[in-house]
Amino acid sequence: MKSSGFNPKARWDRHIPQTDDDCPDVGLNQKIEVLAWFKQAKIFPRGFLWKNKYYKIKQITYNWQERQGQELINYFSVDTGNNLYQISFNNTSFGWRIDKVIA
Amino acid sequence: MRTVPKLIMILHIDMDAFFASIEQAINPKLKGKPLIVGTRNNKLYTVVCAASYEAKALGISSGMPSADAFRICPHLEFVAAQQSKYIWTSEQILNMLRNYGYELNYASIDEFQIDIADTNDPETLAKEIQKQIYANFKITASIGIARNCLLAKLASKLNKPNGIVILTPHNLEQVLAITPVKKLCGIGQKTEVLMQDLGVKTCLDLYHKTPGFLEQNLGKYGLNLNLGLHSIESLRTTCEEEKPKSVGHSYSLPRASENPGLIRAWIRLLSEMVGQRLRQQNLTSQTVHLWLSGPQSTGLNSQKTYSQATNDGHEIYARCLRILAKISLRMPRIRALGVTCSNLSQSSYLPLFREEKRRERLIKAVDSINTRQGEGAIYPAITILTRKIT
Repeated sequence: MKSSGFNPKARWDRHIPQTDDDCPDVGLNQKIEVLAWFKQAKIFPRGFLWKNKYYKIKQITYNWQERQGQELINYFSVDTGNNLYQISFNNTSFGWRIDKVIA
Repeated sequence: MRTVPKLIMILHIDMDAFFASIEQAINPKLKGKPLIVGTRNNKLYTVVCAASYEAKALGISSGMPSADAFRICPHLEFVAAQQSKYIWTSEQILNMLRNYGYELNYASIDEFQIDIADTNDPETLAKEIQKQIYANFKITASIGIARNCLLAKLASKLNKPNGIVILTPHNLEQVLAITPVKKLCGIGQKTEVLMQDLGVKTCLDLYHKTPGFLEQNLGKYGLNLNLGLHSIESLRTTCEEEKPKSVGHSYSLPRASENPGLIRAWIRLLSEMVGQRLRQQNLTSQTVHLWLSGPQSTGLNSQKTYSQATNDGHEIYARCLRILAKISLRMPRIRALGVTCSNLSQSSYLPLFREEKRRERLIKAVDSINTRQGEGAIYPAITILTRKIT
């Protein structure tokens, strides 16, 4: 089987990172502690501790990955019932971050 | 179960409002609402790069300034594009399609083509693909099946969203008769007007025109259209012919600008991106093409060919500046711009002079840092201007 054609790697947003001052109220980028299952090479975050408050994750609505240089970042959009957050796990540093409040 | 003759070969998958659908999957509260995905965070100063079907129904389309979209619908939902999730989803779909074992073409971030010449029941296969895409990503795709890529792509557009259209020898003319010619890939507003003047209103009108007639009135493009409509294709033949003829990048600014510093910064960034892609494919280019467009002009285009081929972003930028110097006297406000390199060949030049060798070492070092730390980790200082809305 051969596949050919389009190369999706050419991106302008890697060259122009979005700055927080464009949208100061939602950009967080803070370290968090996460309770997660690692099952069959997949990650399932179940809850996270942020600013001394525990947020139970009711649903992972979407997940995706991005390679940043040699690091692989796993992103999750998670629904805690009241809010929707984007959190991420860095496969190299083994660190979790809360990236932003989606809604 | 209905079976379709083996003459049909290409299955074209077109994701429905791809970026907007992913955003609706991420945030289910956006489902059923008019939504636009903008290229930047600032919702009033960006360009619509995707619109949900609810927004499309209001007349909002990709490429439109977001301010215009908000004038049409003040309660429009807005999400800033985050390309990593669209690219990841697209690659996952590609991997999923690979498992079917057919010849596959990655046509664009939201379009895939499969050569299904050996399949007896393409409709069941199409339904299975739709089902699998929805189960994994909670987004839908429309599928067109026909005897060649052009017709399959057309078919995928005829029953959106989440539809399947199969063009067989029995229904082909019937479907083409009720399909406006502008639906065909590659026919824009100008060509549509030209077609109308020639009496071509539907795809069937075009289908029945002779190659000679189309060549006489539309040149080589007309001949290619005729070939595209009448050929029977296999991806094996189409893919083997594919070699990049040009590499380019373009960008629409959040608002029109006459700030020469900002315009030069964008040209520098686009040149760097083009240079990087050329180097990744081990290509060099002799011809640089610069285009600029704004609210007062439809486009200022110019290109120049040099004897020395290059894939150095700085050199591409310098060549663009020489082109810009010629057109800058009449340069109005700029809204969109693009840099394209063509006349490509395999990179084989060995630098002879000290400055050239130094420059090559520098480019290699920058590429190496960006490979290790991520694209855009190190960049030309002037491009910092592109990060600010001015």
